[in-house]
Formats: sequence, structure tokens, C-alpha cells
Amino acid sequence: MAKNEMLPGTLGMLVLRVLQPGALHGYAIAQRIHTLSNDLLQVEEGSLYPALQRMLIKGWVRAEWGISETNRKVRFYKLTAAGRKQLQSEMTDFGRVLQGIHAVLNKA
Amino acid sequence: MGEFFRRIYFFLNQRKLDRELAQDMAVHREMLGDDRKDFGNPTLLAEQSHEALGWGWLERLVQDLRYGFRILVKNPGFTLIAMLALGLGIGANTALFSVVYGVLIKPLPYTQGSQLVVLKQTAAAPMKGMQHNGMASMNNVAFSALDITDYRKQTRAFSLLEEYHSMGFILLDGQEPTRVTTGVVSAHFFDMLGIKPLYGRLFNDGDETKESDAVLVLSYPYWKNHYGGDPSIIGRHFRMNDRVHTVIGVLPPVPQYPRENDVYMTTVACPFRSSPMMAEHRDHRMVELFGRLKPGETVESGTSDLGVIVSRLEKTYPESYPPQGLNVSMESLRTRLTEDVRPMLLILLATGGLVLLIACANVANLALARMMRREQELAVRAALGASRGRLVRQLLTESTLLSVGGGLLGLVLASQCLALLVTFVSRFTTRAAEVNISLPVLLFTLTLSLLTGLIFGAAPAFSQRTNLVNSLKEGNNSATIKTDGNRIRNLLAVGQVAISFILLIGAGLMIRSFVKLQQLDAGYNGDHILAANIPLNFSKYKTNQDNLFFFDSLKQKLQATPGVLGVAFDSGAPLAPGSPMNQDFQVEGQPNTDRDGMQQTSFEVASSNAFRLLGIPVLSGRNFTDQDKDQAPPVAIVNRTFARHYFPNEDPLNKRITPDKGKTMLTIVGVVGDVKQFGLDKDPVDTVYLSMAQFSMAYTVLIKTAGDPLNYASQLRKAVFSIDKDQPITDVKTLDELRGDSLAATRITSILLALFAALALIIAATGLSGVTALLVSQRTREIGIRLALGAQRGEVLAMVVKQSMRVILIGLGVGIVVALLVSRVMSKLLFDTPPTDPATLAGVALVLLCVALVASYVPARRVTRVNPLIALRAE
Repeated sequence: MAKNEMLPGTLGMLVLRVLQPGALHGYAIAQRIHTLSNDLLQVEEGSLYPALQRMLIKGWVRAEWGISETNRKVRFYKLTAAGRKQLQSEMTDFGRVLQGIHAVLNKA
Repeated sequence: MGEFFRRIYFFLNQRKLDRELAQDMAVHREMLGDDRKDFGNPTLLAEQSHEALGWGWLERLVQDLRYGFRILVKNPGFTLIAMLALGLGIGANTALFSVVYGVLIKPLPYTQGSQLVVLKQTAAAPMKGMQHNGMASMNNVAFSALDITDYRKQTRAFSLLEEYHSMGFILLDGQEPTRVTTGVVSAHFFDMLGIKPLYGRLFNDGDETKESDAVLVLSYPYWKNHYGGDPSIIGRHFRMNDRVHTVIGVLPPVPQYPRENDVYMTTVACPFRSSPMMAEHRDHRMVELFGRLKPGETVESGTSDLGVIVSRLEKTYPESYPPQGLNVSMESLRTRLTEDVRPMLLILLATGGLVLLIACANVANLALARMMRREQELAVRAALGASRGRLVRQLLTESTLLSVGGGLLGLVLASQCLALLVTFVSRFTTRAAEVNISLPVLLFTLTLSLLTGLIFGAAPAFSQRTNLVNSLKEGNNSATIKTDGNRIRNLLAVGQVAISFILLIGAGLMIRSFVKLQQLDAGYNGDHILAANIPLNFSKYKTNQDNLFFFDSLKQKLQATPGVLGVAFDSGAPLAPGSPMNQDFQVEGQPNTDRDGMQQTSFEVASSNAFRLLGIPVLSGRNFTDQDKDQAPPVAIVNRTFARHYFPNEDPLNKRITPDKGKTMLTIVGVVGDVKQFGLDKDPVDTVYLSMAQFSMAYTVLIKTAGDPLNYASQLRKAVFSIDKDQPITDVKTLDELRGDSLAATRITSILLALFAALALIIAATGLSGVTALLVSQRTREIGIRLALGAQRGEVLAMVVKQSMRVILIGLGVGIVVALLVSRVMSKLLFDTPPTDPATLAGVALVLLCVALVASYVPARRVTRVNPLIALRAE
């Protein structure tokens, strides 16, 4: 996993998590995930935008116009209340699964 | 829930959102900088992101529709033929289903119509003579007023028991005298049905006492047609039966059951029903009885309830009941109203369904053939990445588009011919008035359209080959025979032949019945005879002398008219609509009990020259003469059927019979030939003719004329009005017309079935042609080789025709087997024709064979024009 793809199904959770402190635009989301993971995780743009579209439809994020660092007009994605709730439940679920995996890996 | 609306919002604003998304991605790419331009395929990315919105299926559908529409428009020939075939099929089914729905399926338009029943009384033992006639319905006994009073008092299962009969009276409203069909009902008849008045009020108990004033309720159509829908009609006074009748109400426009009447009156206003004879004699049974079952009661519990009451009454009044007793039975009003029309409607609907099936098979065949030409197009699309599912969906979309188009066409056709069908059905049931193209009918049509689209679309869609490479190589396989597609097509052709054979048999049987009925000797000669009813107003013409005076004057006036060859009177023209007026009678010296209880016969009144005018032979004894007058001993002439039933081994002449337990003794003076008075398809009934000079109630005038009888209608009118200007004349028709009318139902059924069968035959023939033509074009190269090697053109032609003959013969075989199995359902509609009539079977098979041969020969002839050189080079 040199270029470090993500575990399937976790991209949405990570996006929601990096949006928790405040609104970000698409590039910034990808950057933030990359940096926060100590450059381990690389978000494919090809999966980021479809994922964002899905979240817009689900109502977990809202898009607002803003100005990027390069002075371009771009959409900032902001977590909604529903998104917060979704993030909570996904993190709990993920934590449980991870615990389970750990348990198996350590004992076997 | 919010997600649903967001989806719709996204869908509606997708252009804007797509733009915004593109901008986001553009910024993203900029920020990535030069080192990472490999963002991927931006178009694909945009599409994937777009897909995430979840509207892909709809967009694909729109695409498919648009593409399908273009394809159909580009092939106008195929589209037109397919739409026409489907339109005819769907149209026929829509029209038939709207009738079936309105008549058979829809609940009665009354409050809890399922609780309404028609009651029937039958003599427990079949009456002597009736077995010979095979007319079981004739031992039906009506109800008497006293019966009904007792039933009402003692019943536990019925909330209401209401009587009904219908008569014609003359209504004088100050304008022209009109004869009105009058429903005579008991006070709560309309309450039983649950009808509320449109204006005024309906009957109540106060209208049905001996002291009550005569009151009338008008039916909606009569009120509309005669009084222009004027609400101030309430309170108007009319003269009927020499009494003043007051209009108290108007019925709403609901269908009337059991029959359409112009006006309604209560039992006390009807001179017959209120006469002491009717009101006080238990054995004068003349009215019909309807009932509303209490909630929770069923036909079974109602029947046993009344059965108990009847057996109790039999013990109390033995003289009014036949020795074996009476059976009371009942059926729901709904069943009763539709039982005459049910078998025919279902057969027509089945026929329509079969025609549609043939149309489907045919269009499927066409589509299959077209598929072969489109194989390359599909292969290209598949090569470019279209999935198999997507291609199937595309083809199904096209076929559905076609069938929905056909459905729309069918709807237009159906609405155009519905009126015709309704007129036809109204001969059998008053429910015909309820037929229209309603929501359920529209749903039916829609379902049918979608279903046909799926059925005929499935064949080409799934026969689609997956072998891309072969299809892409142009013309690669036209020399080899594509057995797969051919098998489906041959199967479809076999099906078409079989189904059209079945339909042809149905039509053939019906036509044969019709011809037999038409050629039937009805026992009289109706040539050049005009008939008309002159229902004398019995409150004005009270005695025999009054009647005879009127009719004698009429006869003299008519006979003075040039061109009139004879004038006679009868109580009913042969084959005029109606049923026999049966009455009890006894033969002198034969105890009633010897005859298994009640015995009844139809009584007719005839003038002395009526038999001669109608060409009815006097078989023995004599005709009525001028000597059979009022004071002379009453005489009777019986028909042959009567003589056979009651005097099997004796001479009926000079025997005496009595219709009123000995008060009147009728001496039989003659025997005449049988007449099919009440229907060509019914056996002649026992009939006793009375002399008009003695029993003057012969209200039908028969005029034998030199020229066209209808030309004398105005003379008849003039003659009647010159004697009595208040006297209406009804039912002016020639005897030939009456005979034609009595066959109308059979004729129309025959025509409809023949029409369907012809349609099926044409569709099947084009189908066969198509299959053969395709076969020929597929084998052009092979045929070229054969010809080049020295085969004779005749041999090659025979080879091709033989191949399609196999299809035809298999279809014929399947058709015969199925027809033999199912034609029994038609037996109710047939007259003197067994459902497996070999002549019909053979004739129809011959017709089909000829048509099929021609249909396959014409395209097969093309092989003879094949030029071997060109054929071999054709690839």
C-alpha cells in the first residue's frame, strides 16, 4: 500500500471528520486528509467528488460559495447537523470494527 | 424525507450543479500544480460525480425513448404496420372490456346492491308438455298479491319485499296521446333499491291504500324528452285509465331495473292489479318480486326462509297451489341482469384477446426480421461498451413505445365503436347504459399496451446474439441458416395459423347457425305484411262490442285503400318481441292431477282470416267463421304442438277445454300448423287460438299489401285517427323486419366474430408472407448455388413452399385440436349446429389453407427470379 489507498467505505467518514472544525473546499479536503494522515493516505479526486455529491444529496454537507487561497470562486463544503450525527455513528461503528479486528489479530 | 426533495431539487437544477462541480474540479486541478496534472479523465470524473446524484436511470430512459422514437420515425413502414396491428387489437379489447366492465364487473349503482335479489317461483314438478318443448323456464310462476302479503308478514330474512310489473297505458297530457311503459310497483320499491328522487318525492305507504289518489313518478329520460327537464312538472295532472294522476316526483338518471319504464305508479293505480280478481285471488299470479336481504343474510338463508313460508301456505290454501307444491328460489339481481349476455361477452372478449395475441406474434415477427438488419448497429453499440442489459432495455423501450402508440390508437378506435357495441348489448341487459370508457378501462388499456410491448419486444430483445465479432463482420453469415431466429419465427407463425384457425371456426359456427336460422321455416309467410299494435284504451273501449266496432271500422277503411289485399287481426305478430301469455287450463274429462299439477298454454286471439293471411295451414277441422259470434258457443283452434301434447292418441276436434275452471268451455274446432311465434331459435309453444269475434282482444293489425308494406303506414295512421283521434299506434313494422330484428343478436355476434376472424386471418397471412420472404432472402445464395448446379426453378419453388406448408399444417393441426377442445363454450350461442360441426371444420380449414398457400407462394415466387450469377456474387 505504497500510495496508500483507503479502506473501502472510510472516505466518507474521513471527509466528514475533516469538515468538523470548519468548511473546506474540495482540494483542501484532499490536502487535509493527506497531511493529517502523515502523508500516508492519498485521496483520489475521482472518488472525492462523487462522494461529495452523494453527501450533498444525503444532506450531510452543504455547499457555500467562497474564495480559495488562489483567489478563485469555489464551493466550500460545510458539515450539517445531520452530517455531525452521521459522523458520530460512523466513527462509533468503525471503532467497534477496528477493535474487533485488533482483537483477532492479537489473539490468533 | 428531506433526501427525496433534495434529489428532486438536484434533478431540476442539474445544469447549474454540473457547472459548479466542473468549477470545483478545475480549481482542484489548478491547485495540484504542474507536478500532478494526471487528475484523470475529467469527463469521466464529471460523469461519475453526476451519476452519484442517482438520476441515471431516468436520464437513460429519456435517452432510450428519444433514440427509440428516432428509430421508429426512420422506419415509417414498420412503425405504421405495427401500430395499426396493435391498435386494432388493443382497440377491440378496450371496447369489449369497457362493456364487460360496465355490465359484468361494476357493482350495481345502488346502495348495497349485493343484497338485492330477484325471486322466482317454479312448479315443483315440470308441467306436462314442457319436457317436450325443452323450455324449462316456462314453468316459472309469477307471484300473486296475496302471496306477497303473506311473505312480507312472515319473512325473517328480508328487510323489504317489493313487487313489480310493467304494462303499457295511454297517457293524456293535453298534447298527443302517448303510450307509456309503466312500472307498477309497491310503495317501497325505490326504497329497496336505495334511490332518492331528483325532484319531489317517491312513493310511500300513503300512496298504496284503496283511498289513495293516483300518483306518478317520471323516469329521468321520459321527463327530459317530453317535458324538457322542467322541474315545475311536480303537481301536474295527467289522465290515464280515465283517472287523474298527479306527478309527485322525478327519478334521478340511474339505470332502471329490471326494465326501462317511462313512468311508475303504485299497485292501487293499476286497473288490473287493483281489480278484485287480482287483489283477492291467490292463484292469479302475475307480478314479479324483488327483495332486499337483511344484512348478514345470504341467498341461501333467504331461500330457506321463504321455503318454510311457502310450505306453510300450501297447507293453509291447498286449492291455490299445485299438488307438488311451489319452489321458491332466488338469485342476485346482478346475476339476473347479466346472465343472458355473459357467455357472449366472454366469448367476444376471448376472441379479442386472441386477435391481440396474433397481432403481437406478428409484430414480434416483424421486429425479429428487423433485428437481423440492426444486428450491426447493436454490435457497434456493444463494442463501444453498451452492456447487454442496456441493449435489451433499449429494445424493450422501443417496443413499449410502439405498443403505447398502438394503445392510444386503440383507445380512439374503441371510443368510436363503443356506441355500436352498447346498442348491441342493450338488447340483452339494461346495464348497457352504464358502459363507458372509465378509469378502470383506461388502466386496462394501459396495462394491455405495456404488456403487449413486453410480449412482442421480448422475442427480439432476448434472441439478440452475444457474438459481437461475427456480427461485426459484415454479411459474414448470410449463407448459413440462422436456425435459432428461424425457429422462433416459425413458432410464431405456427401460433398465428393456429389461433386464426380457432377464430375462423368460431365465426364459421356462428355464421352457420345464423344461416340456418334465417332459412328456417317459421310456419308462416310474412311476405308483404305490415304489422302494427293498436292498444285500445280499455277505459274507453269497455266491452267486446266497443272493440269489435273499432276494429271493424278500421278494417273497412283499410280495405277501401287501393293496394291493400287483406286485413286481419291477431293478439301478437309472429316474432314480435315478447313472451307467451301463459294461462292455466283444463281439458274436459282429463282431471288436472293426471297432468302432474298445473298445466298452462299460451292463449292467442285471431280474426277468422288471420290464418289465411299469414299462410298458416289448417291441418284438420275448420277455421273460425262469421258464425263464431259473441252469443254462439265459444270455440278454439289449437296448434299442432298442443294437439300432440294433450291428445296424443285421439282426435282433438270437438274436445272441450276451459281456461277458468269450467266457467267458459271452449270447443276445439280446428288444428293449425305450428308457428315460431316467440323466436326462431325456440320451439313452438302450446297455443290455443280464440276467435276474435268472441274475445275481441286482438290488438295487432296485419295488412297484406301489393307494394312495399311500409308505404301503407301513413294510410294506417290516417284510418286510425279518423276513427279515434286519441288512439296511439305503436310498433309499425313489416313482418320481415320483425323477423330480421329477432335475429339481430345472432347476426351481430356473427358479424363481430367474422370481423375478428377476418382480421386474424389477414394478420396471420401477412405474417406467413413475411416469414417466407425472409426465408427466401436468407437463402438467396444457397438457391443460387442450387440453380447453378442445375436445379429446376420449379423444384426450388416447391422446396420453399413446402417449408412454409409445414408451418401451415402444424398450425392447422394445433388449431384443430384446440378448437375441438374449446368450441364447446360456444354451444350456448349456436342453433342446430354442433360445436364440432365437421362441415364447418372442413370449410374453414380449406379457406385457411388457400389463404396461407397464397400468402407463402407470392413471396416464394421470388426464388424463380434469382439469378444464380448475381446471387453468388451477392456477398
